Amino acid sequence: MSFPIGRVILGPVELVLRKVFDWSRHYSLWPAHFVTGCCSPEFMQTAGPRYDMERFGVLPLASVRQSDVLMVVGLVTKKMAKRIKLLYDQMPEPKYVMAIGACPISKGPFRESYSIVSLDEVVPVDVYVPGCPPRPEAILHGVMLLQRLVLEGR
Amino acid sequence: MSEEEVIKAISENFGELVVESKVLRPKKVSITVKPEGLVSIATFLRDSLGFDHPLGAGAIDYPAENKIQMVYYIWSMNRRMLIMLRADTPRDNPRLPTLSSVWDQMNLHEREAWEMFGIVFEGHPRLEHLLLPEDWEEGVYPLRKDYKLPER
Amino acid sequence: MVVSEAKEIMRISWGPQHPMSGQFRFILETDGENVYEIIPDFGFTHRGIEKILEYRTFVQGIVPFERLAMVDAANVGLAYVRAIEDAAGIEVPKRAQYIRTILCEISRINSHLYAIGLAAEAAGGYPAIFLWTTADRELFLDLAEMLTGARWSYAFFIPGGVRADIPEGFKERALKVLSYFEKRLIAYRDSWLENEIWLTRSRGVGRLSAEDAIKLGAAGPSLRGSGVELDMRKEEKYEAYEELNFKVAVQKEGDCQARFMVRFLEMIESTKIIRQALENLPPGPFKKPVPPKLPKGEGFARVETARGEMDVHVILDGSDKPYRVKVCAPSFRNLYVISKLPKLTKILVADVPVVIWSFDPWYLDADR
Repeated sequence: MSFPIGRVILGPVELVLRKVFDWSRHYSLWPAHFVTGCCSPEFMQTAGPRYDMERFGVLPLASVRQSDVLMVVGLVTKKMAKRIKLLYDQMPEPKYVMAIGACPISKGPFRESYSIVSLDEVVPVDVYVPGCPPRPEAILHGVMLLQRLVLEGR
Repeated sequence: MSEEEVIKAISENFGELVVESKVLRPKKVSITVKPEGLVSIATFLRDSLGFDHPLGAGAIDYPAENKIQMVYYIWSMNRRMLIMLRADTPRDNPRLPTLSSVWDQMNLHEREAWEMFGIVFEGHPRLEHLLLPEDWEEGVYPLRKDYKLPER
Repeated sequence: MVVSEAKEIMRISWGPQHPMSGQFRFILETDGENVYEIIPDFGFTHRGIEKILEYRTFVQGIVPFERLAMVDAANVGLAYVRAIEDAAGIEVPKRAQYIRTILCEISRINSHLYAIGLAAEAAGGYPAIFLWTTADRELFLDLAEMLTGARWSYAFFIPGGVRADIPEGFKERALKVLSYFEKRLIAYRDSWLENEIWLTRSRGVGRLSAEDAIKLGAAGPSLRGSGVELDMRKEEKYEAYEELNFKVAVQKEGDCQARFMVRFLEMIESTKIIRQALENLPPGPFKKPVPPKLPKGEGFARVETARGEMDVHVILDGSDKPYRVKVCAPSFRNLYVISKLPKLTKILVADVPVVIWSFDPWYLDADR
């Protein structure tokens, strides 16, 4: 009988490695800088000294190709939706999406608008942070929820 | 020159083309003119009366009176006065001459009025979608009163 | 601008996903160094607010209206409220006027700090100036929260006055923040406005003459940076501005440095205005009851927001909702001026972020 290398050695090794990668990834979630609406000043405050997103490993970057999470901060219009789909497809796996603010979740205060869609209709969303605008503490809570998702290996 | 004198100067030079004129508030004048007279009155406002600072332009839909009213807002630096230049056009075939040759910025405002109300501006260099997406349905004008938003 | 036949013109899309352009797309026609044309592409944040407002009562409508420029929510919300008051002939009690002035100036400081912070980030000063402005803004956001309950989205002005009175301890806290901030302004001047690296990027860049600024319709600091003195606070004399002592900041050069200098000086004037308003706060009621249905009429209000003059034209039809609200947004005009700039002066590709941020366009304002 051949030695079950896969089950006994490679399987557990892969499991351990995956846990290590997840642990290191959850402390270094780099979002693509994508502020689309009025929530942007509050997002800037979260990057500021009082709330400091960067201690969670969140560093906003310019390029989508180098980021782990697409944080859509603000509303999604029909004109923008095509571009969001394009950007989402350009991101390398594993990738996550965070909808920050009431607008990408459910159109927010512009419920009846003829030119807004909710983010769900465009890309699959992992974490929703409600608020109009959400307080920096809420955004940080959203980041921590995302970190938990990453640790769980989603 | 006071507000009344500005109105008088316009009426004296253009007589019948001016449909209505009034002083809305201190330093704010409103005149309604016939579409044929728009370009010549606008040029007169800019060159002779010093209305040189364009602020914007928009339209108002009056389905009950079967008209769409286009309003241009211009400020005069020297006179420190604002004028609202209005023109009515019938709702079933709204056409107006473009004022982008008089105040360049009106180029953009007229594009917006076209896509929101359907007013065709004759002589406009580029009547395309400005705020609405490129694949917006043709013939659907969101700011008209018969375009209803879903009630919540 | 003469285009030599030998050069190839490229069309580059600047945005809509790019940190230095926000939610906007500029199509640059360039040969790699010189920019020959900037074509703006509006509409990525169009919400149709003018239509939505026809479906909301006057008080309900303030919430979406403020989101035209939430970074400067007090001034923007004031434009709508004043237009309604103008249409219905409502007079606001004196105390409410002073409270409105205080919140408006806090909002102006927040907005200018935002513009400065992001301009510094665009020019490469990310850690220092951007984080300084974010930290200083926190103090003013705390003040606003103490007064209204919200950090950014106040909805504090209603037709007839303001929602609440100045709370206990606000004045002392505000005076402390202002004296700290005045010292910080000296630090900003020394380390940023007079910084050699910043000056090489902004002095002489993007020059806009006074007559072009007037003819093209520039607004706010973009207009005052070219030597044109036009400020709605002095022109329309609304709220408490008529009784307070302040100067209009005007600079003559018309380049990027001049526009930022105007914003810097406006922040100094804002601290003066807040101090005076707190010292001379008149007693009395802070709001007046206003019926939900307002008679037919037409109202026009012009307010000096941080980005420039915002005009709101409101038409009432006798019901409890407006018939039509037309907004003339300052950023729409400033974006138009940016698009005409390559024809007026020499602009390099490297100058584009600094030039754009010197006009401080807020794209949600332009798209409405």
